Amino acid sequence: MGEYAPILVLGAIAAGFAIFSVAIAPLTGPRRYNRAKLDRYESGIQPTPVPEGGGRIPVKYFFTAMMFIVFDIEIVFLYPFAVAFDALSWFAVLAVLLFLVNITVAYAYEWRRGGMAWD
Amino acid sequence: MNEIPAPVLEWDLIAPLMVLGAVAVVGVLLEAFVPRGPRFVVQASVAIGGVVAALGTTIWTATRTDVLDGDVLARGQVAAEGALSVDGPSLFTWGLLLVLALLSMLLFAERRLGGGLSAFTGRAADAPGSSGEAEATRHRLEHTEVFPLALFALLGMMLFAASTDLLMMFVALEVLSLPLYVLCGLARRRRLLSQEAALKYFLLGAFSSAFFLYGVALVYGYAGGFGLAEVADAVASRTQERPLLLAGVALLAVGLLFKVGAVPFHSWTPDVYQGAPTPVTAFMAAGTKAAAVVALARVLLVAFGGAEWDWQPAFWAVAALTMLVGAVGSIAQGDVKRMLAYSSIAHAGFILVGVVGATGGDGITSVSSALFYLTAYGVATIGAFAVVMLVRDASGESTDLDTWTGLGRRAPWLAGAFALFMLSFAGIPLTAGFIGKWGVFSAAWAGGLWPLVVLGVLVSAVAAFFYVRVVLTMFFDEPRPDGPLLAVPGAMTTVVVTVAAVATVALGVMPGPVLDLAQQAGAFVR
Amino acid sequence: MNDPVWVVVLKAVLIFVILVLYTLFNIWFERRVVARMQHRVGPNVNGPFGLLQSLADGVKLALKEDLVVKAADKLVYVLAPILATIPAFLAWAVIPFGPEVRIPFTDTYTALQLTDLPVGVLYVLAVTSIGVYGIVLAGWSSGSTYALLGGLRSSAQVISYEVAMGLSFVTVFLYAGSMSTSEIVAAQEDLWYFLPLVPSFLIYVVAMVGETNRAPFDLPEAEGELVGGFHTEYSSLKFALFFLAEYVNMVTVSAIATTLFLGGWRAPFGLAQVWEGANDGYWPVLWFLGKTLGFIFLFIWLRGTLPRLRYDQFMTFGWKVLIPAALAWTVAVIVLRKAQQEGQLDRTALLVAAGVAAVVLLATLLLPGRRGDEPAESEPADEPDFDAYAGGYPVPPPQAPHVPTRPWTQTAIAHHARDKEDSDA
Repeated sequence: MGEYAPILVLGAIAAGFAIFSVAIAPLTGPRRYNRAKLDRYESGIQPTPVPEGGGRIPVKYFFTAMMFIVFDIEIVFLYPFAVAFDALSWFAVLAVLLFLVNITVAYAYEWRRGGMAWD
Repeated sequence: MNEIPAPVLEWDLIAPLMVLGAVAVVGVLLEAFVPRGPRFVVQASVAIGGVVAALGTTIWTATRTDVLDGDVLARGQVAAEGALSVDGPSLFTWGLLLVLALLSMLLFAERRLGGGLSAFTGRAADAPGSSGEAEATRHRLEHTEVFPLALFALLGMMLFAASTDLLMMFVALEVLSLPLYVLCGLARRRRLLSQEAALKYFLLGAFSSAFFLYGVALVYGYAGGFGLAEVADAVASRTQERPLLLAGVALLAVGLLFKVGAVPFHSWTPDVYQGAPTPVTAFMAAGTKAAAVVALARVLLVAFGGAEWDWQPAFWAVAALTMLVGAVGSIAQGDVKRMLAYSSIAHAGFILVGVVGATGGDGITSVSSALFYLTAYGVATIGAFAVVMLVRDASGESTDLDTWTGLGRRAPWLAGAFALFMLSFAGIPLTAGFIGKWGVFSAAWAGGLWPLVVLGVLVSAVAAFFYVRVVLTMFFDEPRPDGPLLAVPGAMTTVVVTVAAVATVALGVMPGPVLDLAQQAGAFVR
Repeated sequence: MNDPVWVVVLKAVLIFVILVLYTLFNIWFERRVVARMQHRVGPNVNGPFGLLQSLADGVKLALKEDLVVKAADKLVYVLAPILATIPAFLAWAVIPFGPEVRIPFTDTYTALQLTDLPVGVLYVLAVTSIGVYGIVLAGWSSGSTYALLGGLRSSAQVISYEVAMGLSFVTVFLYAGSMSTSEIVAAQEDLWYFLPLVPSFLIYVVAMVGETNRAPFDLPEAEGELVGGFHTEYSSLKFALFFLAEYVNMVTVSAIATTLFLGGWRAPFGLAQVWEGANDGYWPVLWFLGKTLGFIFLFIWLRGTLPRLRYDQFMTFGWKVLIPAALAWTVAVIVLRKAQQEGQLDRTALLVAAGVAAVVLLATLLLPGRRGDEPAESEPADEPDFDAYAGGYPVPPPQAPHVPTRPWTQTAIAHHARDKEDSDA
């Protein structure tokens, strides 16, 4: 079997287990209807109505997601560089440093503008 | 150890790009660390200084490029491992873009017109008309990020015009587009219009980029390489799988023609030109067109020159349609910025006539003629938008054409300059526009495209009628009592209008030096 | 490596069984250890030492009513626990448990690793981040405010600490010259990487706790604020699956730490010199599981010791301390190692420089009060500097520092109440 096929085998076992669990749960458990049980749980108080479309979410999460993408791509660039490090010359090191400096400039900008401040 | 060789970079040849990129990055740092008070002045000075420095470097680079042998006056060489070609057209375009950007930066930095505030919104995150917006105005906030953004866009334009590699070209396309999308949404007045413009531009632009990328993929599938030279070799040697190539060319052309603003990919132009802050419109109208036309010409002539019989008819049709739609559309407009937008579409058509015209010949080559046309068009466009910035009433710029009646009586010099730009757009002799039109038409004539030339002349006549009508309205009608107040031009805008007017006349009366430069820059190096 | 199909299936089943059993054991282990730390006894009824307690809990969960709340998006709601569970197991495909061994009763030799990918660690990162989908979709599809907030927090937290985690790997790849887990283990034959790469190791350990949403970074499940977080609306076996995924993830990050920094399945220091066969046969599995269990104990220890961080402190720590530190350390390693390779630096100087860098990094991590140099751009600074790490431990503020002004900070009220209690106590 190839390099990736074993992953599929393990994935199939895990998926089988997970799907089996989800499927068996309604059969093993009791079923006693109670309106309150099927309502949202908010520590026993009347649940707040959820606005249409889920309502508005703080934009901070979006910033975090954007920053994550930027940094994750940076890291993905660093990995091949790190693996091939021994075969590379100073030029590559300087190129990567320049790349990191550029990212850091954007990072500094966002820091100063409060993009990472949570209230 | 060291089995992977370091790439060879010709630092002297790519120095202008390096300088500009470094200044743009420094701009971001300044944005982060300079206190708000002096930030605008610092940013504007750094941006203008950076453009001047890049211009100086470009001239220095141009003097260092070698003239190649052969019957054409090709100069320069392919640099940066085949990603860029620093040749005549590239250097000419770089110089042109930097001059246009310099003028635009002066417009960006103009603060006299809006009561001490720039043309950009104070806090773009605020909803239009919200209390937050009023608060931002009260605190006199300004988005000084526009300067680094414009520099990044400029860098992208310069890269775009010089790429000889389809992947590099795509990167450049994104670098040039993304800052422009943001800049379009930053207008201080008429925020909703501005945001709509930005969103439209972004959606359509992203769409066209995707087309371009699909085209790159198909061409790669055909040629097995991204370099334009590799593609040209494949086009010359491979005979099978022609449909793959043609589909690739068509998709690439969609992306490029979108940026040029040619019909049928022009529909974003009026809305975006109208909604964007006027300095950005000026910058984008002049700069993007120049970069996109050169890139289009490079792709078509260098990579697909061997298959020109396949793609030329389509481009003849596009050129003809673009001229027609642009000219006819501009007649129907009642808004100055929209009118200028349609006019820019028409000009895209005229330039395309030149680009798809002659590919060789004794006279002026198509590339030289397009380059000269771009110069004439770019200068007049920036001048015209600078005038638009000055004609204001209480709510900001007054772009309704009706309010411009009788402007010549109130401000003869300003209206005179605008009239001059209109005449140049119309192609009246003794203006730069005439020489430009003469250039592209003679290039097309030399290529045997007389039907296109005839159509072009006819369309020019139609358009001229309209431009002249604007001039007549300004000078020979009574001013309206509720017409716009004229803002006192700030020093920067005055300089821009003056330089643009002088250049328009100078290029029309004695085009020799610039024409010579353009002719020396007439051939791509691959 | 080209194993026959039956070997692959055998190994896959074994990995699955080991993980499930390990999870059951870990839950019991955690309860016992935390109980001991709190002067309690912990579960001791079912089975010897209460070892079967987790199993009994699992059976009990299966016998509970399986609820699908009314406001839920049914399909996604059911899919989410499955989506959280599968990637948790998948990450183990590339973890090496030991060297090449002979399968008993046969003549087949095989490595104690399901498959050896050349991009092993990248694969682990990729697969584990799919698990975030399960969390965020669970929170979203429940149609409940607490669950939604918990899911959002959790995903923001995981991705924030993933950056620092990813950066800490760079130096390991640099030293090992490979992303393959088996080659990284092989490269640590002489020296385990946690020694030359102390800062990377520390950053990873912090990031792995944040990544797995464990105390003191267990904000998504802050009971006082969000009830159960993203799985508030789940019951029965669906809830059990989330629980399972969380514990498997905990073991996964521990296994990664072991593989990348602690020499993987290699016998502890000195043991291989004393005893020839310590690194042969099936013994390495013991070392591997032992090292992993050490990390699990660390997790439990942290939980038993540290109070929960406030969310803004947590994000600030991740983005403004951990990531710059990781970046600076990565750059230092890149430059120094290249200088050493090119002969511009000898080993002693390198070690000295590494030591200095480590001290600087530790200072960055522990030095408080860096908040003063970031004046807010649009709002005046209204809070006095608060040192969250006075004495080396994150402590709650002496007075309530925040007044909830927006609806989504309502939950902070509960937070304050608890903070006050803590400080009053």
